[in-house]
Amino acid sequence: MNSKPISSPCDEFQDPLKNYDPKVYCDPLMKALAEEKVTSVQYRPVAAISPQTTIREAVQALSKLKVACLLIEEAGRLVGVFSDRDVLDKVALEYDTLRERPVSEVMTRDPVCVFDSDSSAAALSVMAVCGFRHVPVIDVKHQVVGIVSPQRVTEFLRKQLVK
Amino acid sequence: MELYENMRCEPVGMLALREPVALPITATVKDAIQAMREKKLGCAIIVDENRIPLGMFTESELTRLLSEESLVWDEPVTRYLTRDWPAVTITDPISAVLDALETKNIRFLIVVDDQGKVVGLTGQKGLMEYVAEHFLQQVSVQRIGGNPYPVEREGA
Repeated sequence: MNSKPISSPCDEFQDPLKNYDPKVYCDPLMKALAEEKVTSVQYRPVAAISPQTTIREAVQALSKLKVACLLIEEAGRLVGVFSDRDVLDKVALEYDTLRERPVSEVMTRDPVCVFDSDSSAAALSVMAVCGFRHVPVIDVKHQVVGIVSPQRVTEFLRKQLVK
Repeated sequence: MELYENMRCEPVGMLALREPVALPITATVKDAIQAMREKKLGCAIIVDENRIPLGMFTESELTRLLSEESLVWDEPVTRYLTRDWPAVTITDPISAVLDALETKNIRFLIVVDDQGKVVGLTGQKGLMEYVAEHFLQQVSVQRIGGNPYPVEREGA
């Protein structure tokens, strides 16, 4: 006769996080990038314009504000970005014919974002893998709360290096 | 060694250097823009006959000139150059790139050999890729869908 007790589903459950230990970084620079939230490298307020803004006005805004990237927002939602690179690639040689057209025609749509709860390393990985130099930071309601630029990342890295 | 020490010890040659847009002093603004578009780069280096850099023309300068409506396409690009652009040698530590980018507030950096000749281009993007390689898990998340590092950027 088999005397083995019948196990209940609760006995068979194995917690997948039971043996999970978050990675421990010894390297101070990696530790800072992995553990500090992206909000510590973002900057705000962000420079934002509407999709109906003309290309001429957008180009002037980039220059006047001395920024390399403008966010394009419609009804509080991010719909695109317009950067120095968009000027070079899509506008420069065609400027005379495009200048009064809306910036929505040449903006980069659906930029890759990070959440404000993500690590700084996540933003940096977006820059490296996706090729975006400016990464908007959004909250759970998908409202833009900041933007991460390479300047801010290099500033952050250098601070850690000279500590 | 990890990132902190690597940045202090590893040479600039360890970065993924880009082939720069290097143009002669006779190049026009239009030539520079077309070459930058073709190579998907945000800057052009003007070099002399020995490939010694004379200055840099950047996309941010292009934006500024367009906003002022003071750009003439057929003029020599040398008229709009930023001269004495910072450079690093290929044997400098990677931390020298970080120092230059941050203290000079620039996006691109000329890489020269020991004779001062242009051998490549690096900048914010190259540095980001180098640092990101130390966070393979994060990079893997971003690469879902099979994206390698893009040779050309895709937006902002």
